[in-house]
Formats: sequence, structure tokens, C-alpha cells
Amino acid sequence: MIHSLFLVNASGDIFLEKHWKSVVSRSVCDYFFEAQERATEPENVPPVIPTPHHYLISVLRHRIYFVAVIQSEVPPLFVIEFLHRVVDTFQDYFGVCTEAAIKDNVVVVYELLEEMLDNGFPLATESNILKELIKPPTILRTMVNTITGSTNVGEQLPTGQLSVVPWRRTGVKYTNNEAYFDVVEEIDAIIDKSGSTITAEIQGVIDACVKLTGMPDLTLSFMNPRLLDDVSFHPCVRFKRWEAERILSFIPPDGNFRLLSYHVSSQNLVAIPVYVKHNISFREGSSQGRFDLTLGPKQTMGKAVEAVLVSSQLPRGVLNANLNASQGTYTFDPVTKMLTWDVGKINPQKLPSLKGTMSLQAGASKPDENPTINIQFKTQQMAISGLKVNRLDMYGEKYKPFKGIKYMTKAGKFQVRT
Amino acid sequence: MPYLGSEDAVRELRRALSNPNVQSDQLRYRNTVLKAIRAMSQGVDVSDLFSEMVKACATVDIVQKKLVYVFLCSYATLNPELSLLVINTLRKDCQDPNPMVRSLALRNMTNLRLPSLVEYVEQPLAAGLRDRAACVRRVAVLGWAKLHNLQPDAEIDAAVVNELYGLLRDPDPVVMVNCLRALEEILKKEGGVAINKPITHHLLNRLKESDVWGQCEVLRILQRYHPQSEDELFDILSLLDASLVSPHPPVMAATLGLFLGLCSGLPAVSLAALERVRGPLLAACGSTSRETRFTALCHIQLLLRSLPGLMGAHYKRFFCGYAEPAYIKQRKMQVLVELVNDENVAMLLDELKGYCTDVNPETAQAAISAIGRIGRSYSDRCLEILTGLLGLKQEHITSAVVQTMCDLVWVCPQCSDTVCSALEGCEEMLQDSQGRQALLWLLAAYGERVSSAPYTLEGFIDRVRSEASLGVKMELLTTTMRLFLCRPSETQDMLGRLLHYCIEEEMDMCVRDQALLYYRLLHCGIEETHKVLHGQRSDPSLGVLIGRPAEPINQWAYSFNTLEPLRQAGVETEPASRGSPEHVTFDPKPNTDLSDTLNCSQIEKLGTPISGQLLPFFFAEPLKFHQVGWGASVHSHFQISPEMFNRVQVRALAGPLKDIHRVVPKPLLCYLGCVLRFVVLLEDEPSPQSEVQSALEHVFIQDVSVHCCIHLSLNPD
Repeated sequence: MIHSLFLVNASGDIFLEKHWKSVVSRSVCDYFFEAQERATEPENVPPVIPTPHHYLISVLRHRIYFVAVIQSEVPPLFVIEFLHRVVDTFQDYFGVCTEAAIKDNVVVVYELLEEMLDNGFPLATESNILKELIKPPTILRTMVNTITGSTNVGEQLPTGQLSVVPWRRTGVKYTNNEAYFDVVEEIDAIIDKSGSTITAEIQGVIDACVKLTGMPDLTLSFMNPRLLDDVSFHPCVRFKRWEAERILSFIPPDGNFRLLSYHVSSQNLVAIPVYVKHNISFREGSSQGRFDLTLGPKQTMGKAVEAVLVSSQLPRGVLNANLNASQGTYTFDPVTKMLTWDVGKINPQKLPSLKGTMSLQAGASKPDENPTINIQFKTQQMAISGLKVNRLDMYGEKYKPFKGIKYMTKAGKFQVRT
Repeated sequence: MPYLGSEDAVRELRRALSNPNVQSDQLRYRNTVLKAIRAMSQGVDVSDLFSEMVKACATVDIVQKKLVYVFLCSYATLNPELSLLVINTLRKDCQDPNPMVRSLALRNMTNLRLPSLVEYVEQPLAAGLRDRAACVRRVAVLGWAKLHNLQPDAEIDAAVVNELYGLLRDPDPVVMVNCLRALEEILKKEGGVAINKPITHHLLNRLKESDVWGQCEVLRILQRYHPQSEDELFDILSLLDASLVSPHPPVMAATLGLFLGLCSGLPAVSLAALERVRGPLLAACGSTSRETRFTALCHIQLLLRSLPGLMGAHYKRFFCGYAEPAYIKQRKMQVLVELVNDENVAMLLDELKGYCTDVNPETAQAAISAIGRIGRSYSDRCLEILTGLLGLKQEHITSAVVQTMCDLVWVCPQCSDTVCSALEGCEEMLQDSQGRQALLWLLAAYGERVSSAPYTLEGFIDRVRSEASLGVKMELLTTTMRLFLCRPSETQDMLGRLLHYCIEEEMDMCVRDQALLYYRLLHCGIEETHKVLHGQRSDPSLGVLIGRPAEPINQWAYSFNTLEPLRQAGVETEPASRGSPEHVTFDPKPNTDLSDTLNCSQIEKLGTPISGQLLPFFFAEPLKFHQVGWGASVHSHFQISPEMFNRVQVRALAGPLKDIHRVVPKPLLCYLGCVLRFVVLLEDEPSPQSEVQSALEHVFIQDVSVHCCIHLSLNPD
């Protein structure tokens, strides 16, 4: 199925390769490099590139291309999903998935790839099982390893593979039994000139960190489960109960895992937590343009909007921007024409604004399109969809665990057209 | 990769590895091996250490074993003789009480990939199939597939195959799926695993136990099964219903693929299944992974061919974000075009208009041509936008707009007035050859209405010497000829100059031939010339976008969940389903994205109503056709004197015709093609000569070189 995997960085160097069947020469990547050269932006490299004898299916994450070489017809979604799983696993193991991290941990990377695929077929992809086969490197362990010479390879047979519940190993023990759930929602929206919403969509996840002894059986119920549109569960969740009672019932994996992810689409009304008042204009014949931007909180249920970062790609003709920020700092890169304004927290009493003029290239005509403004923000203690966890119960074990839940809303692809 | 100081490093490593002191100290030994592996991954050639590493393999330490195996598998092919030494250790490990060691040894034994070792590997593999640990069985099962790949010609051991079939009932789901995978590979020549009723039901019942990957595999293989009764079919379908809305896109896609395969005789059920996957597909379109989004979009395009209304209410989900990659934007626009209706047209056009000024020229072009396609149904609004875009005076935008107008006029002749008035003053902005070709075509078709047409042409003719593009030169010749027919006094002089240049000085044979043809044509008299050159100016039958008949699902079901919908080509969904065969002028997009597996089951469709007749269709160079050696028989078929065929090229289509499901008609070069180049597709074999002749008579002109391309029999069955 998957013949080989090449890891290519943004400058077009192969820094890792792994072959599961026969060795495929590196030259197959030339087709990929060609496409990479043709694409103006790194993201523009098409994900599927046909070559005379192979198909190259690639995934770009963290500025690294994961290029899978395919020799026969395959379901494309399958390969793409698998490549993402590989990246997720690396991230899980090394904290970050950068070229440097992969090069530092090259031995672990090879071991992981060897376990994840056999003869091109996915074998063990569940992070819990992998972690028993190959221990993830930590700073402490790296140090201990260099002194004692031990490595990251698990020395026992992973029990999980034989246990009844494939995602949880038996005999887990903790002194503090705790279960934390983070409800994180990302809001993707396009707001048009006049401030009305063109599209808005919420992508939410519930990430869990469960450290409980034994084989606990948890149930989690929501105040308003009907909100969730397209829900995707961790395999541990009993789907029948969700369909019948809208209750999440599961035996959790040990440690960190993603319990579910969901969408709340534009069918339901999506609340927009910030608004932008803008006035960006260029006049014909003048070498000056006006720039005026004010941010304010909208539907936030009284919670503060924090970590606000505004960025905008100004038109090519703009030479410089002379602006005045009432709060935070702004930078303008005259080469990339990228304007970034780090606002921080929005104070509803005194709305942050950025005003001033832009100087244009002399003689250049008026830019024909106005810039788009991208906004990032965070709101703690609130899930913008209104999702609320009702209660969490545990069965099957005697002790009383500590339970915690946290809500957060972030901006995903949030953009305002001007 | 050359590595500075690598020789020293290797020498040092070898010394350390063979040092008895190191060997006796477990930790130091393991560390040294680790160093060697690290050096290997940095590109140092450490193959010289092979014999030392073989020795290091004989250890009780699993970790060290694992490292050594990594080394051995990479260098075994370079040292086949020495690898023989490893086999003994590996075989001993296969008897180890620890199942992990057994599976590790087995996996690496098969990963050495040396045909010479096969005889030593077979016995432990056979034992592995009967191991009591599931992880060993998993490896052993796949091991047989690897072994088979090593010697693809070797005879298949029936006992092993039987045993693998037996293991389909293994309690471990991964072993079950691996058996399927292994059998698929081993029995490739016989068409893969044999799927019968008990196996199907067994697999379906255990589908839930396996992981996502396993489910995809099982669903894919089950496509080969044909249920014996309708009851059985519906039992299977209801079992699969839950996976159809699976949150995992691969599983969802695989299930739908199986559904479509099973229900090929029940279109209503298939349509219901499509409705059902709408939710999951839309969710995949909003996935965080760009690649998944892209793939989902491509598949939605397929679905829309049969169910145009499927996504109607969700059109806003296909609006492009600013930071999305170009390939997603372009696909989204293609989907948007399909979703247009009376209510949303204003909103959609507004949105598309915004994309026309995208920084990426390809995206801008895609947006403009999307507007043009909507223009077939809503021509006024779209023309307004298009003419507005000309005002921006941007090279790539102007070129795209002119090309789009050219397409638009071809299907909507009522637009021609607006287009003609918009054309004035465009030629300075046009730099690329496609844009200029389109402009020339428009001038040829509507030259009498564009007052500045002769001046524009004069400019082109003055620069013809420095013209690099063949297409532009050919188009220029035809345009000048046609303009000469309607405005002789203004163009006579320049036509003379152009023909003189093309015949006397031009190096390219095609241009020269074309010019000669026109020259001789003019000798035949103006009447004759007019008859030949007066091609079609438009083909409204290609028609409007909305209210178009939906294609049956079977047209595309075979390509669902494969790589085909993701290919660049076939982007335009153009149903060329009407029109009399003589007038169907096919011409692929001369510029870009036509793939080599040009598709055209449309042709077959066209062929059916006129069964027994032949079906000429015309093409230009960019189509990739293979040449076949068929020259001699052509003459006898046509019974025309050989000199007619100055440069006969007989060609057949590159792919089997059944794979070819779309040909994009485009006005560019088309009537030029009428005269010079065409492929003849014959519907029935029995009586080709007479029919070919009679049909071609009105096209053939005496004393002209004709490129005749003949492909017999569309439909062998």
C-alpha cells in the first residue's frame, strides 16, 4: 500500500527516508520538487502528484512534507489520514514535530515507522500501544540514557495488545487519581465588509488527560448534547449509548487522548466573539492611504477576549505604514507587506484601535483590492457554541477521582474582509 | 552523501565493536551499536561494519537486537553472503519464549529481502502461523506476502494459501485483516482473494472489531462480492449503515464505495446513500487537514454529477478562505459553479468576483472561468463582471477574461455584442499565447462587428516573425482568412503578406501546410473558400448549466475513492450530449490541464443513438495519442490515391475508450480542425470503407495534405 516515505523540508531536501517494500530511489521525489518549485507558496503543492510509475501523496505539516510513495491504486483518504497519524505520533513523542526534533530522535523515528507499518500496511497506530513498544524520549530519559546507555525501546511485551480493551493496558496504578477534560473550540469565520457573517463554523474538541487506577468506566453527559453536529469519537466511546441517550460512556485510554471532536456548522447560529470596525482606503492619485481599525468584544458572555493578534497582508504598492496603536504594538514588514498588531486583551471600556496613514509607492495606481484582516484571539472559561458538560461519573473502581473541566475558545481561520 | 571523517568514524566504531571489553559490558556494547545506527541515519556508509554487527546480533538484550536488525535490514542486500550468518541467530530467536522476540525475529527475517535466504525462512514462517501469540501470527501472515514478492514467479504453495484462508477466522482482528492483505498479494494473478458468501458474512460481522485501517481494507475487498439475493443484499446494506456515517473519512468513503458497487442495479438505494453521506462529507470538507479537505472536495464533485442538488443548501461551505492553498480554492470554485441557482446566483457571483483579484494568477484565472461558466445561465450579470475586470488592466486577468469570453460566446451567441464591444483595446494587455489565440478566434468569428479588427490583425502580422507560439500563428492564418472573406478590401494586402511569409519563410511544417492549403483554397475561388471556412460560430446546444440531466451513478462509481477524481484533469464537467454527429467538434483545451488519460465515455454516449453511423470528431495536437503502425491498410480503406496522404498519421487513443469519459469542447481552433485534423471513430466495423468515404467527402479537398487519424471500432463488445 504505502511503499516508501520521504520527509522533505521547505527548502527541498530529503532528510529522512523509509522503505517498507523494496527501496525506491530518491529520484522519484524529483517530480515532487518540480511541483514544489512551481508552487509560489509552500501550501500550494498539490497533495497528489502522478509520476510515470508511482503516485506521490504528500501532507504538509509543521513546514515538513511527508511524501508517501504509492505504487498501486489506493483510497487517497486512507493514505492522507495515515500520514496525519504519523505526524500526530511524532508530535506526541517529541513534543514538537520539527526537522530538528526528527533528526535528533532519528532512531526513535525509525523504530516508530517500523512499528506503524509492516509491508506497507498500517500495523500499530494507537499511541498508547506504541508508547509501550517504544518509550517516548524525555529530557530526563535522554540524560539517563547517555549515562547508563539504556534506550527507548520497551523491554516487555505490551500487554495492551492482548488485553480485552485494546487502547488501555492492564495494571495501571496512580497515587493521585485525576481526570481532566479540556473543551477547546476553534471558530472559523469569514466576515464581510459590512460586518455580517458570510460563513461561520465551530470546530471543537474535547481533549482528556485521564490518570486513573485500574479499569475505570466513565460516563460524561452534556447539558445540551443536541448542539453537536458531526461528532467523531475516540474508539473507546460506546456509540450505541451515545445514539440512544446522548451520553458518552467509555473506558478511557491511559494518559492524554482526544475524546471527541465535533463541528457546529452554520446551520445553527454561531456567535461571533469580536467585531472589527475598519476603514482602509486608498485615494486615486494620492500617495497616501488611510488605515483605521477598531476592535471590540461582541457575544462573549461576559468573558474577556485575550491574546488578540491582528495580521493583514497589505497591498503590494504600500511602502510603509505610519500608525498609532492605542494599545499593544504593531509591526510592518516592508518586504512581505505584512502588518501585525499584537493587541493583547480587549478592554470593553477602552476599545483598542490602530489608526494612521499608509504611504504608497509614488506613481503606483490605486491597489484594486482591499486587504483581508486575520484575527487570532482566545477566550477562557467559555465554549462559544454554548456546550456545557453536565456531570462525570465513574464506575467500576472504588476510589474517588479528582475531576476537572476547562473551556476555551480560540480563533481558527477568522478573517474579516474590508 | 559524503561525510567528512566518515572513514575514521567507521574504523573507530569497528574497533569498539570488536573490543572484548566493550562486548562484555552490556551497556557499552549497546551504546556503540546505537552510535553506528546514528551514523547510518546521517548518511555515513557504515556497511563495512556488517560482520561486526552480525556478531552483535547474538545477544539476549532485546533493545540491542532491535537496533542491529535495523542495521542489517538496510545493508543486507549489499552483503548477501554475510547475511547468511544472521539467519541462524534469527531462527534461534524464533524459538524464544518471549513472543515479542519471536515476532521481531520473524519480521526482520522477511525484511532482509534476499531471495537466497527464502529456503531458511519458510520453516519458521510456517511455524509462526501456528504461534499462540497474536503478534507473531500477524507478522508471519504478512511474511508470506513479502516472501511471495521476493519471488513473484515461484509457484504458490497451496498449503500455505489454505492455511491463510483458515486464519481469516483467527480471533485477532489484525491477523484476519493481514490475511486478507497477504492473500491479495499472493493471489494477485488469480484476481486476489476469493470472496464467497461465508467469508463475506464473517468479515462483515467482525468489521467493528478491527481498527480504521482494517475496516477500509475489508470494505475494499468486499466490493468484489455479489450478493446472491436481494434479501442478502439488504442485510449487508443495513449492517453497513453505521459505517456509512462513520466519522473517519476513509471508512466513510470505503463504505460508500462498497454501497455503490453493491447497489449498481438499484439507483434509488444509491441515491439515498449519497444523501446519507452528505453530512460526513461536508465535515471532511471542513477538516483541519488541507489534504483531507481537498480529497473530500474532489469526491463531492463526483457526487454532484449524479445529484446536482445534493449540496445546494450548503453552498456557503464552499466559499474560499483567504489563506487556503490554491488547489483547494480552485476545486471549491468548480463546486460553486455546480451549485448555482436563482436564489444564490448574486451572492455566488459576488464571492467569485472577489477571487478574481487573487494574488495567485491561476486562482484568479479559475475564478474568471468559473464566472464564465455561470454566464451560460446568467449571461448578463456575468458579462458585466467580466467587462468590469478588463478595466483592471492586469495582464493575466485580461487574458483569462478573453479566453472565458471566447468560451462563453461559443455556447451563448446572444452575448456576442457585449463581447465585441469589450474586445477593443485588449490586445496590448495580452501577453500569453492562449489569451492571444482566444482574441484571434473572437476576431475571426465576429470580425465584421469589431471595427478595429483589421488594425489589430495588422499588428499581429507585423510581429509574426518574432512570434514564438505555433498556436498563435495557426490561429492568425485562419483569422486573417476569415476576415478577408467578410472585409476583403481592408485585409487583402495583409493576407498576402502573411501567406507569403508563411509559405516562403516559415520553418514550421504545420504553419506552412496550412498556409499552402489556404493559398490553394483561394485558387479554387471565393465560393469554395467560403464553404470551407465558414465554420460554426457557436453551439448553443452545449447549453446551460442548470437543469442539466443528472448522470447515472454507474458512470463514475468505479472511480469513487480512488486517485482518479484527484487528478488535475477532468475538471470541467461538460456534457456534450446533444448535437448531430457531423457538428460535434471536439477539441481539448489547448492550454493546460488535460491529462494523458483523456476521458470520453461521452463519445460512447454520443455514439449510441446513431448506431451504425460513424462519428468523426476533431482534435488538435495536445491530445496525447499513441501512434500505431497501421499505415498501409489506410489506403485501401479509403481508396484514395496515395499522394493525398502526404503526411498520414494513424493514431489510436491512448487509453481504452471505456476509461475516457469526457472530452472538453472548446471553440479554439475547432473549425480549423474541421479542415485539417480529425480522428475518425467508427461505431460498427463491418462496412467502414463506404461510410468513411461518404462522410469524409465533404471535408476532403483535393490536392491538400490531410492528417487522417483513424481508430477502428469504439466498442469491441
